[in-house]
Amino acid sequence: MSKLKLNGVSKAYGATLALRRGDLEIAAGEVHVLMGSNGSGKSTLCKIIAGSVRPDRGEILIDGHPVTISGPQSAREQGIGIFYQELSLAANRSVEENICLAMLPTKAGIFVDRAALKARAARYIALFSGVSGDGFAATTLVGNLRADQRQLVEIMKALASEAPILIFDEPTSALDRAQVDRFFDILRGLKRDGRGIIFISHRMDEITAIGDRVTIIRDGETIQTLNLSETDPAAVIRLMVGGAGDMPASQSSAPAAARFSAGAAMTVDGLSGAGFRNVSFEVAKGEILGLGGLHGQGQSALLRAIFGAGSITSGEIRIGGDRFDAKSPRDAIRRGCAYVSGDRGRDGVIAGRPIIENVTPIHYLRDRLMVARPSSLKAKAMPALEAMHTKFASLMYPINSLSGGNQQKVIIARWLIDRPDVLLLDDPTKGIDLSAKADLFALIRQLAGEGLGILLYSSEDAELLGNANRILVFNGGSVTRELTGEDRTRYNLYQAAYEAA
Amino acid sequence: MTTVVSFIKQPLVIALLLIVALLALGESLSPGFASADQILRLLIVASLLGIVAAGQNVVILGGREGIDLSVGGVVSLSAIIAGNVMNGADGGILPAILACLAAGAFFGLLNGLGVTLLRIPPLVMTLGMLGVLQGLLVVIRNGIPSGRAAPGLSAFVTQPLALGIPGIIWLWIAIGLFMAFMLNRTVFGHRIYAIGSNEHAAYMAGVPVRRMRIGPFMISGMFAAIAGLCLLGYSGSSFANVGEQYMLSSIIAVVFGGTSLAGGKGGYTGTMAGALLLVILQGILTTVNIDESGRQMVFGATLLLLMLFYGRGRAMRA
Repeated sequence: MSKLKLNGVSKAYGATLALRRGDLEIAAGEVHVLMGSNGSGKSTLCKIIAGSVRPDRGEILIDGHPVTISGPQSAREQGIGIFYQELSLAANRSVEENICLAMLPTKAGIFVDRAALKARAARYIALFSGVSGDGFAATTLVGNLRADQRQLVEIMKALASEAPILIFDEPTSALDRAQVDRFFDILRGLKRDGRGIIFISHRMDEITAIGDRVTIIRDGETIQTLNLSETDPAAVIRLMVGGAGDMPASQSSAPAAARFSAGAAMTVDGLSGAGFRNVSFEVAKGEILGLGGLHGQGQSALLRAIFGAGSITSGEIRIGGDRFDAKSPRDAIRRGCAYVSGDRGRDGVIAGRPIIENVTPIHYLRDRLMVARPSSLKAKAMPALEAMHTKFASLMYPINSLSGGNQQKVIIARWLIDRPDVLLLDDPTKGIDLSAKADLFALIRQLAGEGLGILLYSSEDAELLGNANRILVFNGGSVTRELTGEDRTRYNLYQAAYEAA
Repeated sequence: MTTVVSFIKQPLVIALLLIVALLALGESLSPGFASADQILRLLIVASLLGIVAAGQNVVILGGREGIDLSVGGVVSLSAIIAGNVMNGADGGILPAILACLAAGAFFGLLNGLGVTLLRIPPLVMTLGMLGVLQGLLVVIRNGIPSGRAAPGLSAFVTQPLALGIPGIIWLWIAIGLFMAFMLNRTVFGHRIYAIGSNEHAAYMAGVPVRRMRIGPFMISGMFAAIAGLCLLGYSGSSFANVGEQYMLSSIIAVVFGGTSLAGGKGGYTGTMAGALLLVILQGILTTVNIDESGRQMVFGATLLLLMLFYGRGRAMRA
């Protein structure tokens, strides 16, 4: 009998169907792998099981009985334990307290039973003895631990729930080899106990090492469930890609390297920093260089660091032959660098202010303006906004009065008054409509035609395949593969993204 | 109809309607309250408050819980410095102005550095600074006599300068024009709004965030210093904690005028109306014999009511 069964579960956010149809069956005593590319609906499916998202339709059965999971607390009560990818630890509490946080043992229902807490935590700490590293003790504050040690605490916390059904969402991303091996031994033990385990990882070697079955999700639908012993990685990736995955990317502009004879717009040599390491590449004037791979593999961190908004520990950046090491975005902007973030609410939009003030800040800086004369600013802003086909009633209306796509156009327009040399695009189309996307990419190609060097990271693989001349695939913070010309296929992109780091 | 409603719902319009209503109320309680002479006197007092509130306004617009609780201390200190420097002589006015502005800028700079470099929240930083200033005032007054206002300064504040209107009211009008220009027509002003609205986006668009945090505190210190100087001219001689009341009332004037305490939203025109409104309210409370402590209670309650009235759901949402 299955421990957990999902029948035709779906979830829509407004008009966006995040999960079209989710069917999933977890048997007792198996490690069930979930695989799907960025935005395939995998995380929505997990959130539904974890109770943080309520499905619109479909049923969930635990041990054959239909259940309603109304929230995270309810999920816990129904026997579902979760390892969170975004660590959910209390930094100012000790390791043992964090492990027992969900169910603190108490005396008389009021006082924390310290002795029981210590004893219980010790069981889970002992599971990783020998591999948990220096400075790891039951009483250490979690805030003082290294990233891999914090991840171990998160695993211990999930294990301490003793839940019959366990979800591990990328539990090994920070762990070293020995820690992963130990963790897999523990998982095998749990299998023998008859627990049902859902496992999400982007490392193909780990998936084949620990997984029993795999369910593939594509475009919000669970496509197929396979026995991992009867298949091979190539077949799994082929399923994730779907049909036509082997076709080379269609692109109007020829990706010939010879076209970029004008020289390098930006050279990056051995760059390391928080979230990425040893990245080297050259983007030519007029080239669109794509950064691909799974979400959060260092692409955004790299772009932000180049722009002076992240940390760089070693390596070198050059723009037009000159050493470029921006200490702040202000510095980077002055030297001809532009950055557009997909998270416009946080990084771009000056909410409540007129459209014109959202277009002009870069111009203020580049032209060292003191006085903002409306008439001359309007003359500068209008062509920039028109180049983006921005729809607005008046420059004086607050930017919030526009749709998301038009807001993003305004944010991009601010870089068009004084042209930069290098344009960094950090998932720029996130959450904007299709026509705005089309306008945006038409403009990006036009800017490339005018000789800008463009770095494009997109979480939508189609955008990379359709626009980038070359694609660097990121995996675990470094570039693992470069796709050029005919190699720029969806299949190759996935394969490189899912390869062992 | 809806346009009329939304017009009336604008904070500035509400404030102006309230001003008229309060004047009518004052006149009915005590005939002569709304006479030309009385209104001119109210305007002088409102100018003093309005000048302090100008700096407060800039700090609050800059966001990140921006607030300057030290303005009252700077007003008092400036009044004492000015009294001692000019000591009753017109020739001392210019040196007094320079000394006061320097002191205001200095303490504003300290506030700004504390908030940016030491990352102390503005509320705590400027409250601490207020304590320092109050201690400093005690030390100064124990050593030196407090000094007197120069006749020229007193005349500027209390006697008609042009068109029968005292110089300080002209000064306030000039400051109003200056503030409107600075906030709407300068890059500095646009950057104040930008960091007040979305500091991270401003940073990513190349706004020098740290400098833009220090600047408003210096402006606030200098406006408070100007107000202290004028206050000396108004009262003739400085006394202990003469500026104390301005901490709360300057914040109320700013909020009254529709500036959001969360920053990035509002302007000085509303604040001017707010200052006037508050001074009229103060006048009415005096007319009906409510003493200083009672007035402070009413002011505090007013601020809380304002937060409820304007701010529901947006005022403090950072």
